[in-house]
Parts: sequence; C-alpha cells; structure tokens
Amino acid sequence: MTSAAEFTGVTQSYGDTVAVENLNLEIEEGKLTTLLGPSGCGKTTTLRMLAGYITPSAGTITINGADATRLPPEKRNLGMVFQSYALFPHLTVADNVGFGLKLRKVPTDKRRELVMANLDLVGLAHLADRKPKALSGGQQQRVALARAIAISPSLLLLDEPLSNLDARLRVQMRSEIRRIQGETGLTVVLVTHDQEEALEMSDTMVVMRAGKVMQTGAPATVFTAPANRFVADFLGYENFLSQSDGSLLTVRPEHLRVSAAGLEPSTAGLTVSAVVRESVYRGVDHIVTMTAADATGTPITLVSTTRRDTLTADAGFLPGDLVVAQARDHEIVRLSADN
Amino acid sequence: MKGRPILGTLAVLGYVIMIVPILFVVSTAFTAGDALTFPPQGVSLRWFGEALAYQPFVGALLSSLQLAVVSTALALLLGVPVTLAIQRGKIPGKSLVEGLFLSPLVVPELVVGLALYQQIMIGLHQTSFVALLVGHTVLLLPYAVRVTGASLALADPAVEEAARGLGASPLRTFFSVTLPLLRPGIFSAGLLSFVTSFNNVPLSLLLQSRQFRTLPVTMLDYVQQSYDPMIAAMSTLILAGTVVIAIVAEKTLGFAKIFGGINK
Ligand SMILES: Nc1ncnc2c1ncn2[C@@H]1O[C@H](COP(=O)(O)OP(=O)(O)O)[C@@H](O)[C@H]1O
Ligand SMILES: [Mg+2]
Repeated sequence: MTSAAEFTGVTQSYGDTVAVENLNLEIEEGKLTTLLGPSGCGKTTTLRMLAGYITPSAGTITINGADATRLPPEKRNLGMVFQSYALFPHLTVADNVGFGLKLRKVPTDKRRELVMANLDLVGLAHLADRKPKALSGGQQQRVALARAIAISPSLLLLDEPLSNLDARLRVQMRSEIRRIQGETGLTVVLVTHDQEEALEMSDTMVVMRAGKVMQTGAPATVFTAPANRFVADFLGYENFLSQSDGSLLTVRPEHLRVSAAGLEPSTAGLTVSAVVRESVYRGVDHIVTMTAADATGTPITLVSTTRRDTLTADAGFLPGDLVVAQARDHEIVRLSADN
Repeated sequence: MKGRPILGTLAVLGYVIMIVPILFVVSTAFTAGDALTFPPQGVSLRWFGEALAYQPFVGALLSSLQLAVVSTALALLLGVPVTLAIQRGKIPGKSLVEGLFLSPLVVPELVVGLALYQQIMIGLHQTSFVALLVGHTVLLLPYAVRVTGASLALADPAVEEAARGLGASPLRTFFSVTLPLLRPGIFSAGLLSFVTSFNNVPLSLLLQSRQFRTLPVTMLDYVQQSYDPMIAAMSTLILAGTVVIAIVAEKTLGFAKIFGGINK
C-alpha cells in the first residue's frame, strides 16, 4: 500500500492534557479513512496536526513521503473542510471556491472554468454569485467542500462535516461525499463520532480513545471482530459476559433472543437465565432489559432488541418474568480479558 | 416598563435631564435677538452665519477636525495590530498587554496631559499639535483595541485558518480575510475615536497653544468673555454633526454592536 500521509510516534499535549499519545498511523492513498471516537478523544487534534495548524509536541508527520512535521498549512496543499464551514463571508460562492486558485495564479478564464466545474461537482453551479449568508447550512457545507477540492489537494480533510446538518441531509451527504471521493480519486480523512457514519463511509476505520488508537481496519472487520471492550461498546455491543477462563464474551442486543424460562429452544451457543427488569414496546421489536449473572457470578445487565417476525401488540414480557437469553455461536464475539 | 414604575420613572427623568438643556441650547441658537435668553425672540439663521464667519471658530474647527482625523488614524494603525496580537497571537502575558492598552481609560487625562506637556513640549521642544496628537492617540487606543477586539472575538478563527490551508501566507490572510472581517469593527472604532477626540477638553486645554487650539477649548474661551447666541449656534452645529455620525453608525452597524464592544 502507498501511504499519502504517515504519523510516527506523534504526541500532542496541552499542559497536563495529552490530546494525542504516541500515534502511529498510515493514511492509504486514494482511500477514505475515518477517525472515529467519542468527543475529546483527539480526532480534531490529529486532523489539525496533519493540516499544519498545530505542531506536534513529539514525533513526525510525512505527507507523500516528505517530512511535513513543521511545514505551515499554506505549504501543504491539503483541502480542509471545517465543522463550522468557515466560508469567507465577504466573498461570493464563486470567489470562495476560487480563493486557492487565485493564490496559485491560475489565469481568470481557467479559474472560472475550474470554479464552475467544482461547483457542478457539488451541484451548486447555479448559486455561484450568492454570498454565503444567503445559503442554507447544507449548501454552505457543499461550497466548503468545493473550495477544498478546487485546489487539487493531496489529501481532503473533513472535521465532522455532517454533524451540523439535519438527519435526512446527513444521510444524503454520506453517499454524496463517497461519490465525490470516487469521482476525484482523492485521499480523504474524515473525523466523526458517529459509528454509523464511519461504518457506511470508510475504507478504513481508526477507532480512537483518549488520544490512542484502539483498532484500525476495514469497517466489516472492526464491526464483526472488535479488538477490545471499548471498541465493541462504541460500536453498539451491549452485553458483556466474563468467562471463568478470563475471557470476555460480547453479543449485540439484536442478536440476543429472549424466551420464557422452560420454553427456550435448545441451541448451541450461549444460554443465560435472567430476570426481566423492563420491557419497552417499539413496534418492530421491543427492548428487554434483564438482570443476570455471568460465569464468574458477577451481576450484569443484558439487553435484547430482537426483531419480531410478525406484527404484534404484545409487549412480550413483564418485569419479574423468569427468562432465558440466548445467542448462537456465530453471534458471539470473544474479547481478550486484558482490555 | 410595565410593572416597574420606579425604573420607568428614572428612565423618563434621565431623558428629560439630558434632552431639556439640549432643546434650550438649540432653540436659542435660532433666535433673531441679541441675547442668549429663553424663550428666543423671533426665528432666524443669523447666529449660524455669524458663527461660521467668526475666524477663531472656523480655524479651531479645522484644527479639531485635523487632530481628530489624524489621531483616529494613528489609534487604529496601532490598535488593530495590538488587538490581533492579543487575540490571535501566542504571546505570554496577554492580559498584561491588554491592560496596558486599556489603562488610558482610568488614568486621569490631566495627568496624561501634564506628563505630555513636560516631556514633549518642554523636553523635546515639539509643537502643541504633536503633543496633542500623542495625547489623543493614547486616549483613543482603548476604544480602538476594545471595539475592534469585540468584532474580532465574534469572527470564527477557522475562517482565517481556511485561508492558510488554501495557500495564503499569514500576511496575505490578514489583508484578504482578517481585515475585511474586521471592517465593521474598525469603522465603528473609528467613529467612536473621532467623536471622542473631537469632544475632548482636558487634554486639549492643557496642551493648547496660540497656534493650535481645538474648537471646544476655543468655545470655552469665548463663553468666558461673551455670552451670546453665537455659542448656541456653534453648539447646535456640532450637535448636528454628531447626530449625522450617529445616524450613519446606526444605519451601518447598529448602536448595540458599537457600544456592546465597549461594555464587554
Ligand atoms: N487548544 C487546546 N487547549 C487545551 N486543551 C485542548 C485544546 N484542544 C484540545 N484540547 C484537549 O485535547 C483533547 C482532545 O481534543 P480534540 O482533539 O478536540 O478531541 P475530539 O475532536 O476527538 O473531540 C480534549 O481533552 C481537549 O479538551
Ligand atoms: Mg473534534
């Protein structure tokens, strides 16, 4: 694999806070890499170090094989889309998109042509003469994207680009960004705290926690084989059962089936007796929250959201019901205990 | 005001106390008679003509305008970079620097004036214009720093970062992004500075000379010798100029924005 950028032993601290600690990361060329993790885990800091807005306290960053650790942002040729869009309020949409081209002394005709081509790419050519204030949030976002792409950057950096959009637009922009990435062949680094967004958009996911990388891999790999409890938890695994051999089993709530005690089918896999604490009707499924004990005798909470095959008004269980929770072998993920 | 009778009464009282003397001055300026009395006798523009023909007033008006324009320009030239350094720079002891530039607000002007008199006029043998220019510039700096600072604080730093990312050097970023973003703030700081300089008495009184005397000082002088409607006419003209400036400011920016900058 060719890497478009590489972090080697990169640390960034603010006083006592270590925002990013000993980060080693390769960004593969032509691929979309997401940095995924909860708020405050160091995603923005990582992106801003790559863009040159922050100089790492230690370590090196290379871009296209050349050391860029201390290079100022204007010398990196990267396209960055900020969470706040950061459009130039005093310039028209076209002049926003043409800003970087003007600095590169692209002649006026050619510039106009490139500006329109990039606005076309995001479907906003008809708004070229508006000021940013006259655009909706989603449109401003697209202008910011066109502005960043117009300079033919070696990497496109997106910091939570979708978090300020409403839910429907957000889902639409996911495939839009994917399409643009496919058409341009750009290397993209995207920061998000939304696991669904990361799963849907990434070629490679980098899951971070407290300034450290927890797991790197293709979405399907990370989703089906989370490396540790943190990653599993972040990706929506909710049932964690310690085993007597020291390992930890985890099952997604949608894979845990609940039957009344004594009526459970006999399947190979996991079978745990539990007491229902709460059952919430949600139409296609219901959330059953149970109390059980794992193999070490520690009390745990189990959550099941098994989808029903038929429409029913039956809420399923009542608090206090004795039940059995089950999962099949291929629905169980075994984590090593030390994390 | 409803349900707050005391506050309401105080507000009305405040306006009355402010406006009644102004109305008195303005109306006497239009008198046709010779004395500064109320009510005015008849209506004419006679005293406006006399005020504008009175050489000391005209000369002083030009001096005041010259001083206000140049000191405002200097205060902005110094104040804007200082604001940027305070808010965007990575300098240690930012609050100390900020305090230094805001201190003219609390140091009595008479003290500043005396110091400048001794140092610049006596010590360095400079003209009173130079001394006044230094004095007024120092006096205006807090306004320049505060008002432009308030408008910079409202600007998203990411906009400047975006310019850098697109290939603009720090200097280029300043001229093509930061300065346009700050333009409304600089404009209001300029207006405020201009008015402050134009109306200043203490510094101008201390540092005046026969060659250079500002309008408020000249008018003060005049009142001590003669008391006629010409002074009311001149005051009314100044008031009209101030009102025009205020309207321009309100139309372009809104008062809340301008004065919000100072109280922040
Ligand atoms: N300029 C700064 N000064 C001090 N601490 C900061 C600064 N920027 C970020 N941090 C801290 O560094 C950590 C990582 O922040 P950030 O990279 O913004 O996280 P994320 O983008 O994942 O939410 C947080 O604990 C944050 O409080
Ligand atoms: Mg962030």
